[in-house]
Amino acid sequence: MSCEGPILAIETSCDDTCAALVGEDGTIRSSVVSSQGVHDRFGGVVPEIAARHHVELVNLVVDDALARAGASLDDVGRIAVTQGPGLVGALLVGLATAKSLAAARGLGLVAVDHLHGHLAATSAAPDPFEPPFLALVASGGHTFLAHVVEHARYEVLGQTLDDAAGEAFDKGARMLGLGYPGGPLLQHAALGGDGAAFAFPRAERMRGLDFSFAGLKTALLYTVRDLGEQESARRRADLAASFQRAIVEALLLRVERALEATGLDRLTLGGGVAANAELRERVGSLGVSVRVPPVELCTDNAAMIGLAARHLPVLAAADALALEAYATGEHLL
Amino acid sequence: MSALLAFDTATAATVVGVLRSGGELVARRDDPPAGARPRHAGRLLRLCDEALAAAGARWSDVARIGVGVGPGTFTGLRIGVATARALGQATGAELVAVGTLSALALAARGAGHPGAALAVLDARRGEAFAAGWSGSGEALSPPAALDPARLAELADPGVGPWLAIGDGAVRFRASLEPALTVPDDDSPLHGVDAGALCRLAAEGPPVAREELVPDYLRLPDAELERRARS
Ligand SMILES: [Zn+2]
Repeated sequence: MSCEGPILAIETSCDDTCAALVGEDGTIRSSVVSSQGVHDRFGGVVPEIAARHHVELVNLVVDDALARAGASLDDVGRIAVTQGPGLVGALLVGLATAKSLAAARGLGLVAVDHLHGHLAATSAAPDPFEPPFLALVASGGHTFLAHVVEHARYEVLGQTLDDAAGEAFDKGARMLGLGYPGGPLLQHAALGGDGAAFAFPRAERMRGLDFSFAGLKTALLYTVRDLGEQESARRRADLAASFQRAIVEALLLRVERALEATGLDRLTLGGGVAANAELRERVGSLGVSVRVPPVELCTDNAAMIGLAARHLPVLAAADALALEAYATGEHLL
Repeated sequence: MSALLAFDTATAATVVGVLRSGGELVARRDDPPAGARPRHAGRLLRLCDEALAAAGARWSDVARIGVGVGPGTFTGLRIGVATARALGQATGAELVAVGTLSALALAARGAGHPGAALAVLDARRGEAFAAGWSGSGEALSPPAALDPARLAELADPGVGPWLAIGDGAVRFRASLEPALTVPDDDSPLHGVDAGALCRLAAEGPPVAREELVPDYLRLPDAELERRARS
């Protein structure tokens, strides 16, 4: 089984069909993300529709990733693929593709945990951040804090008990009549608004490092209802700014607790919510060194899967052929 | 020497066949116990690998790949089609779409049934996927999602006698008999046959990779609900 040469990575855990070619030294030679777009009209990702699109797109996305890197399948050293967590029907398309390419080409296969991928992206070249460090990954699908001990070893310190931070943005945006996807729309609506106008909860009395956004969502719902349609529309900037501040401060509160508990003095951000300007600004004043990778590495992509795969073992051939997806539960490495 | 690889994951079974020019069929299958979940993801490539080895072929010998495109379970169809597409991408093999109901009907004819055949799969949600063929293999009714109570209407007595096969024929036996004959529950005719898959794969026209898609026969639930609302 051959393993030398760049890693071809495939990621299909949600609604983006992604492939990338990553050099053995961690250079991202190409990273292609095909966003399906079709889910907007449903107000969220529909698993069956996501899986149908992955089947139609994944081979083209792989071809595109190879072409953009000026490479062909002949140059690939090994294949990496997201095994979970995510939508099983969607994951299975990427897995079937990666397993088939590996089997028919006699290439090694590396199974990667999606969350490990996000963590690997936060410390990527060209400005690598060596472990140990604290990482906050917040997106529409997950919100968790991890102590990255080594490149292939991390410990999840806390995670959301209900909605993910990005999901809270989406739901808040919908309640304010802003549409989907909510993160960028809500951030835009908050411009010029007063973040202190409404006192929304940050689940501050909840101990430990877990997150909860259910109370915040309910608080916004009641506030909008009590204000009435007209007044809510008039004060939309204040509502959006206050809601955004509550999410950001709920995240920061756990980050501060985690930094104190672990004694770590370095922090990375990942996930789509890392693109939020207020969050980026506020982590700058925590007094630790902070690393936020470019937005395209924060949102779901396959380059992060290839980056994580650099530090993971190649599966035995029989295990590669039988590899199955998992929906939930991160593998603690 | 070139080899043909064919597989189907539209039903609970994982079915694989390999045919080398001048050689005998090598068949491998996995039938999960009644009520157990399909094992397509874990078994399909392993069975392909085993069948190729038993036929004395390597992956690079595979010149044509036939895949059952359904109708059937959505996740199963996607595993089969995604596997076929990526194997084609890796080997340059031609791709052929094989109708799963067609493979069921062909096996019934091959087993000596002289009359017409209605292939029926349980589509869940109170529906059946079904299609009919005459004794000479002429298509009489195209694959469709139907109310099981109306299946017997597809069996034109003028072209009978009719045999109904497939997991749906077992499940909806009561509404099919006596207009159609349904073999015993444990008859192999109710399962997709590797030989029939290979024959249809050998005879069918190759398709471009981007045209190889599952034959779902049903829109996603979310889409149906959205259309009902608007
Ligand atoms: Zn993600």
